[in-house]
Amino acid sequence: MAIVLEANYAKKLGLPGYSSHQYSISIRTELTDLSQVEAESARLYALLQSAVDKDIQEVGFIPDNNTYGMNANGQNHHGNGFHGQVNGNDRHNGSTNGTHQAKGFGDRWNCTDGQKGFIQRIVNENKLDKGEVEHLANQLFGAGVKQLNKMQASQLIEDLLVKVGKPAPRQTRWQQRPTQQAA
Amino acid sequence: MTTLAESPLPQAEPSEQDIITGLQQTVSASRLALFLQCRLKFWFRYVLKLTKPKTPSLHLGNTVHAVLKGWNKARWLQNPLTLKQAHDAYTAAWADNTEGSVNWDPGEEEEEKTTGWRLVDTYLREHHVPAEVKPDAVEVPVEADLRRHGLPKLIGILDLVQQRKIIDYKTIASTPTPEKVAHSTEIQTSSYAILYRHNTGNTEAGIQLHHLVKLKNPRVVITSLPPISQQQETRLYRQMDAYLDGLQQPHFVPSPGMHCSSCEFFNECRRA
Repeated sequence: MAIVLEANYAKKLGLPGYSSHQYSISIRTELTDLSQVEAESARLYALLQSAVDKDIQEVGFIPDNNTYGMNANGQNHHGNGFHGQVNGNDRHNGSTNGTHQAKGFGDRWNCTDGQKGFIQRIVNENKLDKGEVEHLANQLFGAGVKQLNKMQASQLIEDLLVKVGKPAPRQTRWQQRPTQQAA
Repeated sequence: MTTLAESPLPQAEPSEQDIITGLQQTVSASRLALFLQCRLKFWFRYVLKLTKPKTPSLHLGNTVHAVLKGWNKARWLQNPLTLKQAHDAYTAAWADNTEGSVNWDPGEEEEEKTTGWRLVDTYLREHHVPAEVKPDAVEVPVEADLRRHGLPKLIGILDLVQQRKIIDYKTIASTPTPEKVAHSTEIQTSSYAILYRHNTGNTEAGIQLHHLVKLKNPRVVITSLPPISQQQETRLYRQMDAYLDGLQQPHFVPSPGMHCSSCEFFNECRRA
């Protein structure tokens, strides 16, 4: 008589913003002898745990605590484009992959007010196409300009400065240039 | 008719106190580490702002950084560089003297240039960063407002962030050991982790230091560190607190030790 050994390994982990995700793998195998159970169980446990641990590191979508599920301007989460227009069609904001980015931001930006103002100033002063900027954000981060977190917004600013020919030099970005020579 | 340009009003040089006040408002990992290493050296560099010729190793390091930045950006945009393109970028970055030039000894520049390229070549050929994985950020400047802790604004530049791992590139002359690396870079790694957390709302998956070792046969040594602990975070805040306290007392005392052998302000220190 065949002995069926069924093993299941599940793991649930917490994520930022009161989220969590879980993943489990189940497997069935046949044994010919009860004496094989202990060794086979140990093998399957190690195998499944390793597989679950590897895959569960991909956290996928994590909702923004402040914005997810909230209405923007009375619309049903279609505020798009970093210039605050609401047109109800995400494809007009430069996204090229055809996928719908979860939105719901209205005029709210995820980055700091300073970053928002800087991005808008670079765009306006250099007459950049807002659709192109939105496209760049999507290409780099898979998200619209308004959705970028502070690190992503900083990266976008760096890239926009390069685009308009005003890159920030690495060594001197945070410090004033020395003005005095050694004696 | 001759038209004379109106000369701009002369701007007053900031006083020493103005400079110190500015230094109390923002701090980077390197500035903090230097202050804790030797206050007099900090004073020479950040208050007096004495400049020294760029060193060959700094020029090499900057050039390697520039190429790796370009390489990472290119693969991010799914337009990866070929080795030849990387070499061209290296040659252009090497020739860039906008941030200061080096006083080379005869024959030294060619030798250093070759060494630098061999480091880049080794790093790229060994595929230490999977080309198909998109970065989260490449050489991105970030800051964290720590006022709620009564501390200055923390600033820094993250070389590479990928799959929530913070990666920092270093060029170095000798092979590092993991334990020493973890210890000697703790101010930097803790700072980067805090910057990452403040700017993304996530906890880093870990920190990796990619040392490109300038040996006859170049090596790449990767040290992987876990996310920083609460204890490390607290320790960094206490170090920043000590930095603030120290700047309030105008005692920029020297800290003589082994590190003086490579200090660019050795002569000034002896005369002070």
